[in-house]
Amino acid sequence: MDLAAHQRKLLGLFRTSYQVCADDDPYIHRVAHSKDLEEGRRNILLWRIYVLERTCVLTVTLLRRRNLLEETLSSFITQNNISPFRETQAPAFLEALTGHRDRLIASVAQFELALMKVRQGDPCSYVVLWNVEPSTILNSLARNIPLEDEVPEGAYQILISRDIPGQFQIFAATCG
Amino acid sequence: MAARINYLTQANASVAIGATYEGRDPALLERMLPLVDYIEVTLETISEVNDHEISLSNEIMSELKNIGKAAQIIVHGVSLSIGSHEGWSPTYLRLLDDFLEQVDVAWHSEHLAYTKVDGEHLGIMLAMPKTNEALDMVCERVSAIQERYKLPFLLENIVHVIPDFPSDYSDAGFLNALTNRTGCGLILDVYNLECDAHNHRFDIPAFLSELQPANVRELHVACGIEHNGFLLDVHSQLTRSSTVELAQQVVQQSARNAQVVVYEFMPEAVPGLGHNAIAEELGRLRAAFRN
Repeated sequence: MDLAAHQRKLLGLFRTSYQVCADDDPYIHRVAHSKDLEEGRRNILLWRIYVLERTCVLTVTLLRRRNLLEETLSSFITQNNISPFRETQAPAFLEALTGHRDRLIASVAQFELALMKVRQGDPCSYVVLWNVEPSTILNSLARNIPLEDEVPEGAYQILISRDIPGQFQIFAATCG
Repeated sequence: MAARINYLTQANASVAIGATYEGRDPALLERMLPLVDYIEVTLETISEVNDHEISLSNEIMSELKNIGKAAQIIVHGVSLSIGSHEGWSPTYLRLLDDFLEQVDVAWHSEHLAYTKVDGEHLGIMLAMPKTNEALDMVCERVSAIQERYKLPFLLENIVHVIPDFPSDYSDAGFLNALTNRTGCGLILDVYNLECDAHNHRFDIPAFLSELQPANVRELHVACGIEHNGFLLDVHSQLTRSSTVELAQQVVQQSARNAQVVVYEFMPEAVPGLGHNAIAEELGRLRAAFRN
């Protein structure tokens, strides 16, 4: 048995990036078609959810409300080399969501990532743009309570900096 | 509650109690210290990123140094990846070097597994094929670690996530060969055995009767959740009575050199479990294993 080839094929099966070939070892065929592989992937997902729901509360809560958490995280797991070092997992996940097609998810992820950075001592200031009023949304996500009313649309921005009391401030964006 | 109380018959041999601690929760540490003899530390969880490099958290290292004589520290890694074809993780060994320079530890340990392939992290631990080729490779690496650190080094049986590769050895036979050739110790994770029995009809009595027990220095107990009929190895729950009873059986009947039973739980599970429940769990384990 070639240990390197064996391990590479199993990595590919877990990442769903390897298609079993007719000349593959019967063992690889067996794993590829096993319920164990599905559950192994599920295990990977669960470990990540446990970490991220504590470290990116706002973004994970929003993804849950949109019924996008498992789909988004599964996609992230298959496309990224996720470090075993816990502290790196939340920033990597949030970074991946900063360009999300759902603008609210992108804004919440950008905000949470920036806040995480400044709380860890990052001297930079960050500005995150929103197209809805942020405080209602953030309050709802932070306290995990439903939004009672329609959230007003509009151009807003949040400045995130360690020099601001509470580390962030919300502004209504002004034209011109 | 009756089922939880049933296992409280004490084991014959007295075994110390240990628990996971990953830092930044001094109230939990304060609750645990009177109940444990060992604190298990995972370097991957107490590390942080500084200037784009992973390093040990100074804040947590201070906490661990302050434990002093209240408990012995044992290091339990998750990312050494001793079974990767391309070699182990140099980052892990760098952190271990740093840790051992600052804190006295009783021993250190890892999982008999691989977690990365060509630098790509699996996100899970996979068991090595139990072949002579794999055995030679792991034995060489174990010897190198023993030479480097001059400390007892233990390897842990992991959960079988996927079907076993047809191999030269049984599970116990592979562990026996490994310990015979290197003199390394073993961690027997009892919950992992239960997962394997539940998920793959693993024959625990046959495994235990074949395993040479003299090298078992540490036992792990934990509990996860069941999903789609599979018992998952996520350390998110209090132990089941069956797990503790099996650990008692192992200590009483075979692993008489075992020094500690460690209750493992992930830091993310602490808010859900609560400090009181964790302390009560450790009290139950202490009653079950300490004479």
